[in-house]
Amino acid sequence: MDPSEVEFLAEKEVVKIIPNFSLDKIYLIGGDLGPFNPGLPVDVPVWLALNLKQRQKCRIVPPEWMDVEKLEEIRELERKEDTFTPVPSPYYMELTKLLLNHASDNIPKADEIRTLVKDIWDTRIAKLRLSADSFISQQEAHAKLDNLTLMEINTTRSFLLDTLNCMYKLRSNLQPGSKYISDVV
Amino acid sequence: MPCERKPMRYGHSEGHTDVCFDDTGKYIVTCGSDGDVRIWESLDDDDPKSINVGEKAYSLALKNGKLVTAASNNTVQIHTFPEGDPDGILTRFTTNATHITYNSSGSRVAAGSSDFMVKVVEMYDSSQQKTLRGHTAPILSVTFDPKDEFLASASCDGSVAVWKIEEQTQVTSWPLLQKSNDVINAKSLCRLAWQPKAAKLLAVPVETTVQLYQRDSWAQVGTLSDDLGTQAINVVAWSPCGKFLAAGSIGGLLTVWDVESKLCVERQTHEKGYTVCGLAWHPSGGQIAYTDTEGCLGVLDGLSSSSSSSSTTTSSTMTKAPASYDDLFDDDDDRPLDEGISEGARSPAKNPGDEDDDDDLIPATGRARNRSAFLDDENSLDTGSLKQGLDKFVDDVGSAIVLPAAVAAPLRPVYDGPMPTPPQKAFQPGSTPAHLMHRFMMWNSVGIVRGYNDDQDNAIDVEFHDTAVHHAMHLTNSLGHTVADLSQEAVLLACPGTDELASKLQCLHFSSWDTNKEWMVDLPKGEDVQALCLGQGWAAAATSALMLRLFSIGGMQRELFSLPGPVVCIAGHGEQLLVVYHRGTGFDGEQALGVQLLQFGQKRRQVIHGEPLPLSRKSHLSWLGFTAEGTPCFIDSEGVVRLLNRSLGNMWTPVCNTRDNCKGKSDHYWVVGVHENPQQLRCIPCKGSRYPPTLPRPAVAVLPFKLPLCQTTTEKGQMEEQYWRSVLLHNHYGFLSSSGYEIDEEGQSQAQKEQQELLMKMFALSCKLEREFRSVELAELMTQNVVTLAIRYASRSGRMALAQRLSDLALEKANQLQGEEPQEEEEEPLQYTRRNTGSGLGRSGSAGGQNRVTNVLDSMMSSSKKPTALLSSSGSTGKLNKTPFLKPLAPRPKTKVQHNSVYVRHKSGFQLWLEDNRRIILADNPDLEETDVIKEAIGRFRTLSADDRLVRHLIYTPSHSKSDEASLSHKKDPLFPCAKAEMPL
Repeated sequence: MDPSEVEFLAEKEVVKIIPNFSLDKIYLIGGDLGPFNPGLPVDVPVWLALNLKQRQKCRIVPPEWMDVEKLEEIRELERKEDTFTPVPSPYYMELTKLLLNHASDNIPKADEIRTLVKDIWDTRIAKLRLSADSFISQQEAHAKLDNLTLMEINTTRSFLLDTLNCMYKLRSNLQPGSKYISDVV
Repeated sequence: MPCERKPMRYGHSEGHTDVCFDDTGKYIVTCGSDGDVRIWESLDDDDPKSINVGEKAYSLALKNGKLVTAASNNTVQIHTFPEGDPDGILTRFTTNATHITYNSSGSRVAAGSSDFMVKVVEMYDSSQQKTLRGHTAPILSVTFDPKDEFLASASCDGSVAVWKIEEQTQVTSWPLLQKSNDVINAKSLCRLAWQPKAAKLLAVPVETTVQLYQRDSWAQVGTLSDDLGTQAINVVAWSPCGKFLAAGSIGGLLTVWDVESKLCVERQTHEKGYTVCGLAWHPSGGQIAYTDTEGCLGVLDGLSSSSSSSSTTTSSTMTKAPASYDDLFDDDDDRPLDEGISEGARSPAKNPGDEDDDDDLIPATGRARNRSAFLDDENSLDTGSLKQGLDKFVDDVGSAIVLPAAVAAPLRPVYDGPMPTPPQKAFQPGSTPAHLMHRFMMWNSVGIVRGYNDDQDNAIDVEFHDTAVHHAMHLTNSLGHTVADLSQEAVLLACPGTDELASKLQCLHFSSWDTNKEWMVDLPKGEDVQALCLGQGWAAAATSALMLRLFSIGGMQRELFSLPGPVVCIAGHGEQLLVVYHRGTGFDGEQALGVQLLQFGQKRRQVIHGEPLPLSRKSHLSWLGFTAEGTPCFIDSEGVVRLLNRSLGNMWTPVCNTRDNCKGKSDHYWVVGVHENPQQLRCIPCKGSRYPPTLPRPAVAVLPFKLPLCQTTTEKGQMEEQYWRSVLLHNHYGFLSSSGYEIDEEGQSQAQKEQQELLMKMFALSCKLEREFRSVELAELMTQNVVTLAIRYASRSGRMALAQRLSDLALEKANQLQGEEPQEEEEEPLQYTRRNTGSGLGRSGSAGGQNRVTNVLDSMMSSSKKPTALLSSSGSTGKLNKTPFLKPLAPRPKTKVQHNSVYVRHKSGFQLWLEDNRRIILADNPDLEETDVIKEAIGRFRTLSADDRLVRHLIYTPSHSKSDEASLSHKKDPLFPCAKAEMPL
């Protein structure tokens, strides 16, 4: 899966917008949306919110967790804990990127939020690398992926799987001779 | 009480404050934790001069035009007064100074610091310093001996010490205070005070009392206490004459003692009970200024006689009751009191002070008499109230001995009724208060008007929720507009008049098709616009001249009329204008508002003629307007939303209490719009305030309506609430169609369906609860075809008596409906059904009243068709007067009625019986005509026993009506499926 696909999935998340137009309910395969009343918040998927925003048809109300104080708390917790902590949204990274890129004027303290989310992301990715490292070095058979988001799993999946494959090959090639095993591991 | 406690006013930000007077007493000078020193010309000074002395200011002292302050940068600085120019640094500590004070001549300053030291510095030469070491904790306060020989200091180590300044040695020390490690943790600030002039006594606040120590002997010579003082005293101050001592406590109690008699002569409580941390007497002794830890400044006024005139006598007579108390507390000239009584009255059982406190807070009617006496400080009481007031005053005046009353000045009647409420000011619904720099001037369903009024900018932003209406506008507010309204057509703005300029009304008519989009009108001199609103094609402005001026939206002046009272606010919608004004003076916190609803357009009339507006208790109006559908609506400060119920004689019905939805006590909802369909109350949640800030842009939330019916936790209560809410909120259909607007017919039928569903559910519920009478009551509210469902339900669940009554009801309803049938519908089949129903009614309803019988006879006797129609229609018009506007809808109900009446015929026991027995009757009397057959049949049917009839009913009902019902359930009655689901069969 490449990141754009994950982003595509993230666009199905629901976000609140305040439209500046009036429209009846619209009926879509994924469900009914609206009705849209000017000035009244309404829940729509992110893809529609961004589309409307680009056409200057709405203001986006940032999700509740997209708030400097809350993110700071999460960052602190993430730094303190050794394991992965629950994230505010399964698509926090994608949503932050999408909303901040397209609607930063509707989000108070957009820059700070960008930094905070990046910090959280970096901390988590560092943890992920660390655990992958210990996973390989200790020859574990399985690993728990609690509280990992799709995007995070995807950043490491291709590399990790290829590596494991490669190592497996190396090992199995060495197996018959069995002299060098200790050297490899 | 002779002195007057002026209302507190905001001086500094929250935190420690200090206060003093300048030498002349012209200015009050305060400092606070915001680091500013403010110079107030009086308590009413709205623009005090501010001098910034640092990040925080801990203490200040002022003499000879030199202002000395202790600031957070560990220095003691000098500023000139009143200019406020920096004049050097007097001394420094290693940490901040906590208290500074001048000596009596102003030549020296003493400063105590958190670094355990006290320094005495010469003003003219700051290098001349004396340091007093010995305390082992931060210094709380310092005070000079007026003779400049000694200095007293209090410290957090719990000691109060007296020092000989020249020798820099401690003379004596008393362990009086509770120990603490820092000034902020100390229980009391323990501001010491040395008696001025005589310099004989040193006052030390210890817990709830003030201890007096004698100079030289350093022995305790007295204690001043107050029974009511339950919290530690923070600060004491001597009157300039040295006869009185004032103290301020943690709990906000301010007490003044006469030091000779050790009696409390004055007692006031802080209006909010905050800690008093600064206290100063006016140099003339007539005023006390005090500040609290919340940064507010207050003044007690009217002490002049107490300090100056009585001082002479007190000192000379040495009695406890100086004669001059007459002018001190003029209301007790002729009070027959003596020492003994007053002592007795001080017993806690009487607890008179409590009553004083109560009176300060709540004007309880029972004590209003005494209360007014407190307020009137210059006249004696009338004799009647004197007797009552006696024991209550005793404590305050101490042992005022009675003098042969020189006699009371001419008695003045004292008002003892309820106190009038200040009338609320005119406001614009949907705006935040005008004193805010950034405010909403209007937030309504069309858009938002924001006003900015700060240093750089004085502007107005207009923004539309729907950008299709118009693009956003930015105007410079050069005229200083304060009120605004916004509609789909125009923006209306108005400013109050000034000395030179008249009050102006400006209209930006953006929807105009010509190029001139703006007009402006000057009001006559001296007349100010107080409220304004926009309707469809018109604008209205209510002015201070109690006038309402109407304008066309293009700027033409239209009607004007006088208002019965000062306007509170006005609102417009379509062709309706709603005006709320002061009907009179309200009492005890209530507002007396009146409301008028006017209708323009084709039918010009006044719909509500100045009736009282029903507000919640002790509340004021906070929003007024129309729902999107045009029903008048208002909200009071208690958060109760009331809607005009046009079907209930224009009464106001509460539909929601926004405060019920608030989490915190100080949270509010600021309403921006009310919609009836869908049922929405659009508002902005404001955390901890009444009004939203302009930034960050607040988000609108939607609250549901909820009628305050009883027992809404039960299923019954819930359904009742839903039903009546639905009925109330769909009243607007009637209004809209009657005033010639288009209505959403689909929505209306949807609403009716919903109501009938609810009725059916309630019916089923009350059947389950064996409440048959209630079931019939419910059925009376149902439409006819739902009644038939109810009948089925009742008969299936074996309630025959109920089913019988319901079928009577159904017939009656059918009859009514037919009466309403337009008269032009005169085809044969209709007439037949009509006749049939009529006959069925008469017979099955044997238990019914007289009118039914006559009704039956009328319809039966009539040979021609016209009279029938006329008769029945005249009978029903009184009940449902909808004909004029229901006309376009007529075809639909009519067809329904036909089906229904046919259906009902099958249902009726008599009908079934008749069908069976017609042949027998005809056989018996072959020459009878149709009507006579029926007559005969009625007679026979009546002879049957009730049981017999029921049996027939039971037997026949299913067999005859099955097919009809089946078809009905599928085609005609959309209600059927859901109602069926409710039936536990």
